[in-house]
Amino acid sequence: MREKLVIGLAAVVAILLSYNLYNIFLVLPDEVSQGYIYRIIYFHVPAAIVGMLGYFAAMTLSVLYLASGKFRYDSLAASIVEVSVVFSTLNIVTGSIWARVIWGIWWTWDPRLTSALVCVLIFAGYLMMRRSIDEPTQRARLSAALTIFGCVDVVIVWKSIEWFRNNHPGPVLSIRTGGGHIDPAMEHMLYMNFLALLLMGTVLVLIRSRQESTAREIDSLRRNAHV
Amino acid sequence: MDARNFTFMFYGFLAAWLIVLVYIVSLARRGSRLRKELEDVKQLISTAPENRS
Amino acid sequence: MNLFAQALAVARKDLAIELRTKESLNAAGSFAIVILLIFSFAFESFSDEMNEFGGGLLWLVFAFAGALVFNRGFARELPNECLDTLLASPLSAAGLIIGKAFANFAMLLVVELVSLIVFGIFYGIDWLSKGAWLSVVFALATWGVSILGAVFGALTVNLRLRELMLPVIIYPLMIPLLIAAIELTNTVLNQHSVSGQMEWIRVLVASDIVFTTLAWMLADAILVN
Repeated sequence: MREKLVIGLAAVVAILLSYNLYNIFLVLPDEVSQGYIYRIIYFHVPAAIVGMLGYFAAMTLSVLYLASGKFRYDSLAASIVEVSVVFSTLNIVTGSIWARVIWGIWWTWDPRLTSALVCVLIFAGYLMMRRSIDEPTQRARLSAALTIFGCVDVVIVWKSIEWFRNNHPGPVLSIRTGGGHIDPAMEHMLYMNFLALLLMGTVLVLIRSRQESTAREIDSLRRNAHV
Repeated sequence: MDARNFTFMFYGFLAAWLIVLVYIVSLARRGSRLRKELEDVKQLISTAPENRS
Repeated sequence: MNLFAQALAVARKDLAIELRTKESLNAAGSFAIVILLIFSFAFESFSDEMNEFGGGLLWLVFAFAGALVFNRGFARELPNECLDTLLASPLSAAGLIIGKAFANFAMLLVVELVSLIVFGIFYGIDWLSKGAWLSVVFALATWGVSILGAVFGALTVNLRLRELMLPVIIYPLMIPLLIAAIELTNTVLNQHSVSGQMEWIRVLVASDIVFTTLAWMLADAILVN
């Protein structure tokens, strides 16, 4: 049943991504001041949003773990964090390449970029820490605390373009600005690709969390057999 | 400027897809390793029941 | 006993032990001085550039020395099952963590004071003329890192790789605090007015409030055996 869901979702993602890529490259016009390079926004922004949503989801699951003690919340949180780190890395790398063209530099230490990098460092540290702790309860408790504290930085990333002076462009999505900052067709494609990346992330999380259950099964078999 | 824009856009998309691809490959490898380990542990338990105290 | 009284009791106990043994203070203090010495080979002292780098140098030193202090915080409770005894006592988990944070805060402030004196001597900086804002910045930033050190010190106390894991985990979390502290310290070093940099003070205050609240709320979940 679960395999069918994963395969079905993966098929939907493939179709949606193909359709989106066709539109991104062949249908949408160039941006007035940036030319071709702006099309990277259709991966850069959705990846950022999927990443941040993932961290908040992991934080919710962490709270649920601390409240209930059930390991499946911890496993799911870890899977989501791993996939979110991938998307956040994608966000930073695509942003850096875009910045090289538009700003002339690969990196700058403005609040948004700095806090985004710190976010990746926090959750990469989370993943590294999980690998080095064998005892499940300790690992889960530390992971939960780290996710909750780490999400403070996610809030800083999200709000940094409003709170601080920045090189990074300000908000453009209509849900944040009330409209007028971006062409509706471009905004529509942003949401479409956000959906595609969100579904891709879901597929990856489903696969990863299945692996976590397998790992837990191996662990408990070993424990019961004193192997 | 336009040609350079196009090259960098290509690199940008390439980087994005490479990151996703590398992750999917690592996920697949971890999955097959875990499946094998599960089989091995199940085998070990079924062939040596007298080890249990 | 209310939370504050419990925390003070824990802090008093830890500081009494520390005054007797001086293990954290000696280690962290010597470490801080050695790092400052090494930095003096990297950067030219008695130059105006020191006003640009001084804040960054100092807070790097405090972050590294702080890790040594935070490591000892809960680790000193491991022998003779002292940690289990503390958890079994009527002391609340939040009281224990905040008490450890108070102790961390006091010890780190001592290390910072010593470092400031040494830094002033090595780099020719007169701290006393820098005004009261410096104390405010130091107090706010030190509290933020102390509460992080207490929470994650508690979580990593039983780990095999505690000395490695604790810095790896808390340094990224500390970055917003460190950036704000560095910016404000550099502002003070350059004799500029802090009132033009109030956003960093807000960052420090907000971080302190958020981290302390999270520590208080999560204490029971963190320390339950």
